[in-house]
Amino acid sequence: MQKNHVIAGVVIAGGLAMSGCATGGAPVKEAPKIAQSPADQLSGEIKVWSWDVAAKALQRMAPEFEKAHPGVKVEVVDIGYDNAYDKITVGLKSGSGLPDVITLEDTQIPGYAENFPGGLVDLTGVAGKYKADFDPAKWAAASSGKGLVALPWDSAPVGLFYRRDHFKQAGVDPESIVTWDDAVKAGEKIKKITGKRLFVSDLTKPDAFTMLLQQLGQGYFKDGKVAVNTPEAVRALTLLKTLKDKDLLQNEKGWDGRVTATKQGKAAAQPTAAWWSGTLTGEMAELSGKFGVIPLPAFDAAGSRTSANGGSALAITSQTKNQNTAWAFVEWLLANKDSQVSMMKNEALFPAYLPALSDPLFDEPQAYFGEQAINRLFADQVRKIPPVELTGDDTQVQEVLKKAVSSVLLNGEDPKTALDGAASRIATATKRPLAQ
Amino acid sequence: MRRTLVWLVATVGAVISVVPFYWMVVASTHDSGELFASPPPFLPGAELLANIANLEKTIHFSRVMITSVWTAIVYTALSALVSAMCGYGLAKYRFRGRGLLLGVVLATMMIPFQVLLVPLFQMMASVGWVDTYQAIIVPFLANSFGIFLMRQAFIDFPDELLESGRLDGAGDLRIFYRIVLPCVRPQLGALVIFTFMGQWNAFIWPLLMLNSEERFTVPVALNHLIGLSRVDYSGLMLGAFLATLPLALIFLLFQRQFVSGLLGGAVKG
Amino acid sequence: MTRSATRQASFPVRHPASPGRRRSGKAGAARRRRTVPWIFAGPAAALFLIFFAYPLAASFVQSLQTTDGGVPQWAGTGQYARLLEDPSFLQSLVNVALILAVQVPVMIGLAVVLAYVLNQSWLRFRTTLRAAYFLPAVTTLVAYAVVFRVLLKTEGGAVNQVLGMEVDWLNDPLWARVALIASITWRWTGYNAIILLAGLQAIGREQYEAAAIDGAGPLTTFRRVILPQLRPVVLFCSVTSTIGTLQLFDEPLVLTGGGPGDATLTPILYLYQVGFRQFDFGYAAAIAWVVVALIGGLSYLQFRYFGKERS
Repeated sequence: MQKNHVIAGVVIAGGLAMSGCATGGAPVKEAPKIAQSPADQLSGEIKVWSWDVAAKALQRMAPEFEKAHPGVKVEVVDIGYDNAYDKITVGLKSGSGLPDVITLEDTQIPGYAENFPGGLVDLTGVAGKYKADFDPAKWAAASSGKGLVALPWDSAPVGLFYRRDHFKQAGVDPESIVTWDDAVKAGEKIKKITGKRLFVSDLTKPDAFTMLLQQLGQGYFKDGKVAVNTPEAVRALTLLKTLKDKDLLQNEKGWDGRVTATKQGKAAAQPTAAWWSGTLTGEMAELSGKFGVIPLPAFDAAGSRTSANGGSALAITSQTKNQNTAWAFVEWLLANKDSQVSMMKNEALFPAYLPALSDPLFDEPQAYFGEQAINRLFADQVRKIPPVELTGDDTQVQEVLKKAVSSVLLNGEDPKTALDGAASRIATATKRPLAQ
Repeated sequence: MRRTLVWLVATVGAVISVVPFYWMVVASTHDSGELFASPPPFLPGAELLANIANLEKTIHFSRVMITSVWTAIVYTALSALVSAMCGYGLAKYRFRGRGLLLGVVLATMMIPFQVLLVPLFQMMASVGWVDTYQAIIVPFLANSFGIFLMRQAFIDFPDELLESGRLDGAGDLRIFYRIVLPCVRPQLGALVIFTFMGQWNAFIWPLLMLNSEERFTVPVALNHLIGLSRVDYSGLMLGAFLATLPLALIFLLFQRQFVSGLLGGAVKG
Repeated sequence: MTRSATRQASFPVRHPASPGRRRSGKAGAARRRRTVPWIFAGPAAALFLIFFAYPLAASFVQSLQTTDGGVPQWAGTGQYARLLEDPSFLQSLVNVALILAVQVPVMIGLAVVLAYVLNQSWLRFRTTLRAAYFLPAVTTLVAYAVVFRVLLKTEGGAVNQVLGMEVDWLNDPLWARVALIASITWRWTGYNAIILLAGLQAIGREQYEAAAIDGAGPLTTFRRVILPQLRPVVLFCSVTSTIGTLQLFDEPLVLTGGGPGDATLTPILYLYQVGFRQFDFGYAAAIAWVVVALIGGLSYLQFRYFGKERS
């Protein structure tokens, strides 16, 4: 019955497209809901869009799913990361051209869910039962106001990667670092003795600020109100400014800049997510044994010692004609200990599915990290990632924050002043009230 | 003294033009990791063959090149024909709607392409052209620049020749193909270079339209080397360098016509 | 110049000079038959009608709407009014105005010099040089981005090493603009030089000889003979460069992303961010139509000037 609803949606979408509806797709205001059918009825072909290692994981896993469900075909298409969202946006906007399942990064989910209502299938009915099994921050990220629009895939718990050799040379014990104050002091000492800065950051982007803000338990909005100038936000940006003023930030542009600087050993540490280990082992094998990981320094002694940075989810598009098979695949892949562990093992995709984290795989010491079992450390952080409010306006906020953050870090503006200015600009642009 | 100056300018200009390209070539002979050394390498490395093999493995570069070559050739041939005919019509006939058509040609040059993407995609989807070759060939066959160029070329074409053709009893199309077109070969050369170049480097539209790897063109395939947490820089540089070769070839082949073609030299000379 | 690689086959190049336009008076025979012209113009007209008319109309209608929360609503001129108070959009206009005022003249000046050099008949390797100058314009965008980032790195970047300075090219508002302008100039100077070369070659040998008989030196020849003859082509290059600048997108996208702050934001880059990143398609369409109006206005002025110079 609910299937008819979807079909109606598809027909309406198609009809509007052909009749030349100038405003484009997303004609269905209610997100289509999904009803699960018994597995033995599964059939047909589904297409999945993804990129990078996620696509590799899918390509490796799909045949196993096909084996378990004869008659089902899963085609995985690697659409490349760099312009993936252009394709997804055009597909949602025009109401056509999308596959059954798409990969979305957490940060992108609310934007698509809110701006293209009905574009993604509401999974609440079929996935609700898994809520307790997933990283709560990820679950929050995949939920838009009305329901769950994607099933969390990989988690991105943040820790502090550090260079064992630099710390040792400077005589700093990494385990002694508990708070950011400790980290700043350690950074100064390391800078003085080794000449290395504390970490690499792109000072024209708000990424580090956003990560620190989440560590403090906050997103850009609080109860729908603009919250980029709360005391927490000011605190996060002030920390970055302190680090910058003490010359502890290695400013590098873009991904290649960060990889290059890390490879060249320009920084002694890097606060980032678990997936960074894949980049380290892949791009700089020669640095094996030189890295270690500690939990992220806290703002207050008892404060949170992690955050999130990245991570993605799988969503089912309303354009699918094979909803049940699509959901069965997503469920089998993500809400399933075996497949999540397998993807952790082979593609280093850190599971957001909590039962998978008890697997002994996570306790294996890693030679690259000086025999440290870094995955256990990260696994322990997953549950503790502070969930924050994400909204469809976040991308717009980021554009405004870019300017605020760079004016503070590059031109020395006062954090409070800059964030107040940003907050009022955001309030005007998004027509939301200020929290502060 | 004057000659020294000219030589100096010519050399400095050439060096500045070529250096970034040279680095591209150098980069394609190194392992991705080596590119991040400080300072970056400025002499060729030993990884060229390995990189070629890798590029073939990751994105089927040879297949991608073949696709790009034939789609660009088909596009260029059709587009040049459409442009030449339209340019001729605009230059040599007075008819109702001529002014409007000229205005449209002008307007399409002014419209930012980005704003047309969604509605155009919608059209393609409604006729089932997503992920097809025709979707990357047909919509842009009418090419403002080409039409302008050809119109200018034909305006100076002596009407006497057309008249004598007519007196011989030839039809309009026959006159066009037999008498007019052969005279504007240089302009056609210029048209071919620019048209081919545009289609060869076209990125966003093919990226949006093509989903299947076996239909990818070079820029779309190269884009796949940029991952979320890993970028194959050597492959990117190598692919970009190899992708320039057909363009360089076209340029060298057609450049004599190209330069004089911009002038309308043949008819006048 | 700055022809966007995302844009398919729309080349802002036109026949540079159209000497002695003749009225096609004797084409009167054709006038009698109405269908014949459309045999020639028809295919292009049909293609424009099919593939441009609908998208154009759709984008215009869209610019009169808002789509808050995915629900289209009539906004009248609301989106256009928003633009007037949007500091980012206004900054992007200032940025392209700056590029128009600084980069376009510098580039065309350099292109004239290069074309002049290429036109010296005694110069050897001219074919090679021509190809070399043209090379930047044909380089694929993805490669261009990576190469320039490596060259412009603050520490150890080739440009800083050559200059012996430590300029923070992409993070300082002033230097980011300089880097952007330099990279556009690198990419499109040769392209314009080749077009200008075509104009130079149109100047007859006898005109140089006449100048030589008058005892004019190379500089005087350049001023008295070459520049006036070249004027229409230079103006043509200016018109296309103006269009290219107002549609500037590739270079700021891959080099600076518009930053730091809004220092290198251009209207079309902003359009892209607003539409494709913030899903505000109505607003994006409004930006597009303002850009169209600006291009139309500026081109009209330049064409008028262009026409006046010729008569």
